[in-house]
Amino acid sequence: MSPETQMYLAQGIHGLAYGMLLFLVASGLTLIFGMMGILNIAHGAFFMLSAYLCVTVLGATGSYWLSLLIAPLGVALLGILVERFMLRRAQASGMGHIAELLLTLGVSLVLAEAVKLTWGTEGLQVNVPSALAGLVNIAGLEYPIYRLFIIVLSLVVLALLSLVLFKTRLGTIVRAAVSDPGMVSALGVNTQIVFMLVFGLGSWMAGVAGVAAAPILTVFPGLGDQIGMDAFVVVVVGGFGSLFGALLAALFLGELNAFGIQFIPKLSPVLMFSFMALVLAFKPTGLFGERE
Amino acid sequence: MRVLQRTIWWGVAATVLLGVTLGTGPAQAAGAARGFNASAVADMTGFDPAKFENPSGDVVKIGVLAPFSGDAASVGQIYWATGTWVASDINRRGGITVDGKKKKIALIKGDTMGKPANTKQAVEKLCLQDKVDVLWGTAGSHLTAIIQAEADKYKKLHLNSGSLSDTLMEGKAFTPYTFQHIWTTHSVGATLAKFFATRQERKFYILNQDYVFGHELAESFKAGLKKYVPDAQIVGEDFHPLFNKDFAPYLTKVKASGAEMIFTGDWIPDSSNLLKQSRQMGINLPVAGIFLDDINGLIAVGPEGSKGLVFASELLINFQDGIQHKWHEAWKTWAAPYNTPLYEWLGSTTGAYAESLYWLLDAMERAGSADAEKVIKVWEGDEWTGLIGQKLTMRACDHRVVRDTYVTEFVSPNKWYKDCAFMDKITTIPAEFVTLPQPKDSSRCK
Repeated sequence: MSPETQMYLAQGIHGLAYGMLLFLVASGLTLIFGMMGILNIAHGAFFMLSAYLCVTVLGATGSYWLSLLIAPLGVALLGILVERFMLRRAQASGMGHIAELLLTLGVSLVLAEAVKLTWGTEGLQVNVPSALAGLVNIAGLEYPIYRLFIIVLSLVVLALLSLVLFKTRLGTIVRAAVSDPGMVSALGVNTQIVFMLVFGLGSWMAGVAGVAAAPILTVFPGLGDQIGMDAFVVVVVGGFGSLFGALLAALFLGELNAFGIQFIPKLSPVLMFSFMALVLAFKPTGLFGERE
Repeated sequence: MRVLQRTIWWGVAATVLLGVTLGTGPAQAAGAARGFNASAVADMTGFDPAKFENPSGDVVKIGVLAPFSGDAASVGQIYWATGTWVASDINRRGGITVDGKKKKIALIKGDTMGKPANTKQAVEKLCLQDKVDVLWGTAGSHLTAIIQAEADKYKKLHLNSGSLSDTLMEGKAFTPYTFQHIWTTHSVGATLAKFFATRQERKFYILNQDYVFGHELAESFKAGLKKYVPDAQIVGEDFHPLFNKDFAPYLTKVKASGAEMIFTGDWIPDSSNLLKQSRQMGINLPVAGIFLDDINGLIAVGPEGSKGLVFASELLINFQDGIQHKWHEAWKTWAAPYNTPLYEWLGSTTGAYAESLYWLLDAMERAGSADAEKVIKVWEGDEWTGLIGQKLTMRACDHRVVRDTYVTEFVSPNKWYKDCAFMDKITTIPAEFVTLPQPKDSSRCK
């Protein structure tokens, strides 16, 4: 393979890896924002919190794998508490999305300050687990194993989520509850618990993404800000409530980022947002939107 | 004749006595060059930035303008650690003599939150409510420009220890109340270019943050190379967004370009993420920059990953320098958040911040007043010996410092840290090669 081809292949895989990381963050937001219709500004903060929890669990146990298990569960629990004791009350206020937006914005600000009090203001570092360190040869291209792991992890999460949502009775209830909560409630299903669990699941996915991203990024209080914004773009472009749409949008935006930097680096930071504007102009529900 | 001899003898004795007395302040004894004297630093046992308490009574008030909250709060923490160190040292020595009496130093926080509107509010509070004598800050030239304008409005002394822009003290932006202690982007570019003139590397890739500072720094490096390394090649140049997440696409371009060295002005977390991701991708190219001394980031890539990094600064404090060990010994008992490796040694940033304050307080003592106009008269054109014995001159016409600069290559093992490569041999770049020319647009400089 020529060096030039290798470079393009590398950019393609970078786009895939970053796209899958974006999907991991955005899939949780697809559940919460896209399907449940809750405008959760705190999603990026959950991502950031999970990275911090990863630092702590790693420090205590020395095991990245345990942190991948425990940190997202901690974030999921927090998500459940936020839904149960805050969001539900905000929704009952009748102020609609404004109340959700303000509340989750408040939660994100509190979390940002809480991590500073708990972990300090310095950037913290997580190393790639030794089993995933190093490079692998792909058709002559040396590529970091850990970035391939992010792709695989995202695919596993996607498969599990799809399985639960589309192939189980629980998934049917969830989809029915977010579509018509009144009808599902009349059938004897406690939709409030369903919503609480779905919110927790969405938060868990932000948590998994936070732990996955920690070894390649510095863990600092602003970690979730930009990725939270990018995740919103993925959900909007992919279409509200569409997991498949989020996957395609994340992959496309990941490639747009990588090849944008390769060919038009000065414009690459705005490509993602320009594409979102185009999609919204021509198809306001997103590429694969199922609901407005 | 005997009377004359006796008069001369008493004159000499009085001069020596006066010198010893002055030696208890931030300046050295009279007779030696004015400047920092490490042996005069107080016993700092028990000092902890987290437990600093302002003295009461008639004090000299310094307003510390830094981001104490928000995403850049770690910068405010660094300002506080160094500010409290200098204040505690001077206070333990009894303070400085101004207005005919000894006054201790008090520090008052002004939280810029890293935002222009908050910076203006913080300055107004410090000037109007807290009535500080000096404004001291800050990182971010856009914020420093605001502080400068406000300092001019309220006629307060302003010490800039954190913003490197070449243009802050030029044209209409110049104000006699501001002194820029920190070096400028011109000096950074010239310093590294002059350093590389003696090395093998000739192919450079510039990778900077996409805002004014990143662009200014890139231009200064290119100008420096053109002057000192005319056969150097810029094989690529990219500007990435602040707080960039994925450096892989940039690094792939760097690798394909055939670069021998990456030049970056990135600061944390971007500098750490760039380094970390490059090493994870198997790209072990050396990186040259001015914010590469983030210990957490260096430890993350380990001794091998941090070996060969080229680090430049306006101040590099040697392992054996007196103040270094006083700081290090004191650090051993510090509580959170100052008990981390970031504060273990007096680094280039903490050292430069401290140096700027020591110099200011010495100028104030020699002026015998905290009054801005009187301090300005003393400080303009002042020659002073810095923390490592280097000569510093506060250029009178534009209030910028003429000084040598320093470059080091990180090695492992080293005397400082076992978990990463760090400073070893320090190369001095003489002031004549790196000093920003006097502004042409100022009548003060003609």
